[in-house]
Amino acid sequence: MCHVHPHAEESWRLSTHVNNGSGVMVNCVDCHLPPKDNTWEHYSAKVVLGARDLWGYLTKDSTDFDWDSKSELEHAVKYIPNESCVKCHQNLFPEGVTDDAVTAHLYYEENAEKLDLQCISCHLDAGHYNPDYAHGQMTGIPGMSASYDVDSSLFYKEATPVNAFTDYREQIPGTAVSFQMRAIEGGTFKMGSPEKEPFRNDDESPRHEVSLDPFFMAEVETTWDQYWAFYAETMSEGRTPPEVVYQNNIQAMGVDAISGPTSPFGYPDQGWGQGDRPAITMTHYAAETFCQWLSEKTGKKYRLPTEAEWEYAARGGTETAYFFPGSPKAFSDHGFMRNVFKPVTDSISAYVIYSKNSHSRTQPPSSVLPNPFGLKNMLGNVMEYCADKYDPQAYANRSGETHNPLVTEGDEWVVRGGLYSSDASDVRSAARSHTRHDDWLRTDPQQPKSIWWYSDIKGIGFRVVCEPDSTLF
Amino acid sequence: MKKENNLTRRSFLKTSAVAGAVGVIGAGSAGLLTSCSGNEKSGNNPLKEPGTYYIPELPDLAADGKELKAGVVGCGGRGSGAAINFLNAANGVTIVALGDVFQDRVDSLADKLKTEKNIDIPAEKRFVGLDAYKQVIDSEIDILIDCTPPYFRAEHFKYAVEKNKHAFLEKPICVDAVGYRTIVAAAKQAQAKNLSVVTGTQRHHQRSYVESYKQIMNGAIGEITGGTVYWNQSMLWYRDRQPGWSDFEFMVRDWVNWKWLSGDHIVEQHVHNIDVFTWFSGLKPVSAVGFGSRQRRVTGDQYDNFSIDFTMENGIHLHSMCRQIDGCANNVSEFIQGTKGSWTSNGGHVIKDLAGNVIWQYDEEAEKANFKQTDPYTLEHVNLINCIRGNKPIEQASETAVSNMAAIMGRESSYTGQQTTWDAMTASQLSYTPADLNIGQMDMSGFNVPVPGSGK
Repeated sequence: MCHVHPHAEESWRLSTHVNNGSGVMVNCVDCHLPPKDNTWEHYSAKVVLGARDLWGYLTKDSTDFDWDSKSELEHAVKYIPNESCVKCHQNLFPEGVTDDAVTAHLYYEENAEKLDLQCISCHLDAGHYNPDYAHGQMTGIPGMSASYDVDSSLFYKEATPVNAFTDYREQIPGTAVSFQMRAIEGGTFKMGSPEKEPFRNDDESPRHEVSLDPFFMAEVETTWDQYWAFYAETMSEGRTPPEVVYQNNIQAMGVDAISGPTSPFGYPDQGWGQGDRPAITMTHYAAETFCQWLSEKTGKKYRLPTEAEWEYAARGGTETAYFFPGSPKAFSDHGFMRNVFKPVTDSISAYVIYSKNSHSRTQPPSSVLPNPFGLKNMLGNVMEYCADKYDPQAYANRSGETHNPLVTEGDEWVVRGGLYSSDASDVRSAARSHTRHDDWLRTDPQQPKSIWWYSDIKGIGFRVVCEPDSTLF
Repeated sequence: MKKENNLTRRSFLKTSAVAGAVGVIGAGSAGLLTSCSGNEKSGNNPLKEPGTYYIPELPDLAADGKELKAGVVGCGGRGSGAAINFLNAANGVTIVALGDVFQDRVDSLADKLKTEKNIDIPAEKRFVGLDAYKQVIDSEIDILIDCTPPYFRAEHFKYAVEKNKHAFLEKPICVDAVGYRTIVAAAKQAQAKNLSVVTGTQRHHQRSYVESYKQIMNGAIGEITGGTVYWNQSMLWYRDRQPGWSDFEFMVRDWVNWKWLSGDHIVEQHVHNIDVFTWFSGLKPVSAVGFGSRQRRVTGDQYDNFSIDFTMENGIHLHSMCRQIDGCANNVSEFIQGTKGSWTSNGGHVIKDLAGNVIWQYDEEAEKANFKQTDPYTLEHVNLINCIRGNKPIEQASETAVSNMAAIMGRESSYTGQQTTWDAMTASQLSYTPADLNIGQMDMSGFNVPVPGSGK
């Protein structure tokens, strides 16, 4: 009866709202409309949804709908009023409730209004079954399937030796994981955006000269294959106080001594797939610890790129808004022209995973073409951590040509490059952004909150750079 | 064997209550007794509208109704007291099962019930051991009276709710964060099942406090801006270890001196006073910084003094202090400051304006003239029984959990030297359960007096 949603009906029938021990069935409108006793909200929402569905029925083919996108949390919150959940689920501490659930639900009760927490932030699959969604602590090590485990003859014995300043393929010893590193010649470039660049923000100003030493940079964002290899060797059981972890890792000598991530809640890949898709949802500290681990494993010096290195590499020698032809005005959903014409997606779609081509999720590197330096997904896909703290005045504070700049003061970290849901205006080479630490952890009910995994941001990842040994020059 | 100070805790309380009654009733304040205080005339703005906050009915005796059978778990001094209080609270109530970890405790309460109330507890309804609570709860009782050392309370309450039993829980109701969450979850389940739970925070059923609460809700001291609460008394009792006692038996018989069993005296005893402030103000603490130490306690691993600065939700402060040391200034009371005046329970329940004039005082003599039953330890059972028989469930565990957690925050801050926060403590893994909990020998190396700032 609920319109043309065959896919939605199938997953609903498999969900706990139908497929449960009590025999009670929860119907579409119970969740998708505000509770009936809020008479006005209920019926006005019904009219709006009904009209939208009628429009969709008359003008669109339901098989064209991107159901996967619609089931992502950021879309789902538009279709699930939280008060409808709470209307039925009045006791969040039912008999048999686990201690973890008590902790989480106490946190929810005390912070739901203050932090705008939703039931579906944790229970996204309550109404529509999703085999790729897990409610609970992740167990085991993803990617470590039996065959992978057994065939240790494929494991690299040693890291790739680097004897010249050229591209190389790094091999992580003790794993079957390798990845491409690009040699980025040092040089001078103009950092920031010119005043006439469409959609530029104040923090990109003024455009200024920066010079950089040469470095190696990973061709692609750190992949799940790489990240799970790190996780498998360093994961920590239980919850050690953060200060103890920090102190331990400062003093850690060798791979075995590094304390890595605890097991995440649910699958951090969001069910989007792993392999060479970018690893996501880790904290900046986790990304730094990955670099520490990779350095120990390979005997090289891996770290996060500075913001200047990142922009220099992203530009690939260009001074335009993107490293490919085209104006942000033509691509963006914003601006006056959008009242008349649809945005252009040609050319940008070949290079950038952004709101128009991402299907609301990350994509593997094979879906885009590289930039002039041979780097993929510098713009879009996931935001990438930099080694700098974010300061909107950072550029204004520089004068003359700055060599290897690094900002160390500030509350949040710089993230660059936009993400899969970004508008074209936010994936310009000069566009700057930053972490939102508290907001990205608002659903995490633990105390202290995780230092390894963010609960409320999906499109965050990183790529590594390697400092060349001085003997190479 | 049991060493008592001249003044036991409970007799101290009774004495101070009597002393309070002797206090001066300010000239001209005779007309300002209890609720007919003429707040409308004085133009006070109520903090809450009448009817939006809970006021218990406190008759001398609970109304008659269906027969109610109780089981007592924890048959020591408080359990025996609570059993008699319960039986004095109504007609048609009885006790049918007893449980304790020690046989002599069960038998002594059985004897007392026989002598004083002519109630027979047959041998098969006298349960001994760590699981005695389950056997008592499964003995076709309606109400669990749980008066064990506080450590055990949370699990006992959880099981009672599972088995659909009403409960009287002696305070405190938990000693650590894990117990706190057990209590909160069980309390919600009790609400869902229409079960009644009264905690032994008997000030909630003491008419002088209830009338003071009404005054303050009516705006008699204006908006609450802070307070100080006290339980400073002489040394509490302790027991020397006797030959033949296991580690467990020694600790449980000496329980008010052991952190894991009592929660330390800030939790075990001073929770009463903190509770008055959280009750009157309706505020939770967001953080606590405190200190404490062990000066003259004889046995166990507890401190004997604490002083805590609580920051409450709206930014006001509560100072709490407690001490169990002989030969020092004693005071068991609460003081609350408001924008228009102050209230104290020290030396009678008195409200003064900002100039120091007494503008209201509770009339204890009038209470004695008007009521036969003035013992709050009995009145809390009167209300519990009325709530059950009248099918108007009362659930006090959630409210007591707040003050209980506040006390835990204060204790942990004092032990560690660090600031504690509500958010961190309610979600923490803090557990006082000994790894090898059993009724015999235990690893005693972990029971040490905490040293602030040392991480130990």
